[in-house]
Amino acid sequence: MARKQKEAPAPPVRRKSWAGRLIRNILLWILPVWLVWTAITPVYNRFLATAAENLLNLFESPNVSDLLVQGAHMAHIQRLDFPPARSLVGSIRVTDVHFHLILLGALFLGVPGVPWRQRFSNLSWALLLSVFFHLLLLVFWVQFVYTTQLGAWSLAHYGPFARNLFGLGKHLLDLPFKLSLPLVLWAFFYIGRMMEELKK
Amino acid sequence: MSKPSPTTPPSPDEPFWRRYRREILFLTVFLALLGGGFTLISVPWVNDHVIEPFTAGIAQVSGGVLDAIGQNVTMQGTVIRNARFAVNIRNGCNGVEAMLIFLAAVLAFPASWRSRGLGLVLGILAIQVVNLIRVVALFLTGTYYPSLFDASHTVVWQTVVILSGVLLWIFWANRFAVPPAPPESAA
Repeated sequence: MARKQKEAPAPPVRRKSWAGRLIRNILLWILPVWLVWTAITPVYNRFLATAAENLLNLFESPNVSDLLVQGAHMAHIQRLDFPPARSLVGSIRVTDVHFHLILLGALFLGVPGVPWRQRFSNLSWALLLSVFFHLLLLVFWVQFVYTTQLGAWSLAHYGPFARNLFGLGKHLLDLPFKLSLPLVLWAFFYIGRMMEELKK
Repeated sequence: MSKPSPTTPPSPDEPFWRRYRREILFLTVFLALLGGGFTLISVPWVNDHVIEPFTAGIAQVSGGVLDAIGQNVTMQGTVIRNARFAVNIRNGCNGVEAMLIFLAAVLAFPASWRSRGLGLVLGILAIQVVNLIRVVALFLTGTYYPSLFDASHTVVWQTVVILSGVLLWIFWANRFAVPPAPPESAA
């Protein structure tokens, strides 16, 4: 009797689909990733401002651009060749440059059926690429201020090509590319797996 | 000699472009549609004749909802205001970016045109509903908790709108896009 019970087939276990688990995991990861992102944001903002300032200085002689961090979120653009009273030429909310990391983290950590080691490895690559993107966006933002926002000074120092390049570049980087970057990077690592899993 | 099934792992001997053909195809089409879409809406004529009226329509609907919940707002183009607060609905606040990302992802994913059409109609409607909730919530935040407006405006609600687009795309891909694999033959 006992043997018979042992041999009886186990009732089928209802498992959620891969996509269902992916959606659930992404929603579950959003809050923890948000908390981590909030905790590291002040430090990351300082790093970004310093690195972007150094990057800008590479193409200047003498160095005239300064990014002054104020509080946890803001950076002020200062031109050292302007009179002190007018040297602050613009402000950037640096936190807005990288809030898409919340979505990126949740997307990469939420993929079901991938070993943790591989998840973290893929996430690390995606974060590294994102850091380069953030630096590029900050540089474009500062150049956008120089080329288009300083009235007669901008017109005297930059031509239409530079104004269009940095105007359109800042617009494209700041909205479309920034918002779509998490999905683009996720698709790069996982779209093949998603297609395979959905066929099952 | 049997033809390899679609789930057969790619052979390491195959060239890179063939091994990752599906990934490369998806990313190429996705990025081309994204780039094309965002360039298109950056053209001044398209912005003035399509995006601005669309944004004004969103402002009108949002204003109607805010009026219905007793906010006594007045409308002026894309500006919604009451006695305590005013907000201007601009590019980035109209859900168009999320719609374009969703559209590019749906069109780049392998599916029938019928599934894509269905996904686009329902997905875009859903994104606009989320965006409407966002505009109303932001107006209320600005009115009653102005110190939270900046963080809500970008970090919270842009994340929510883009997240909703991504989750809708995964849901669509799972339910409507990929035809189910044929049942394995009984041995």
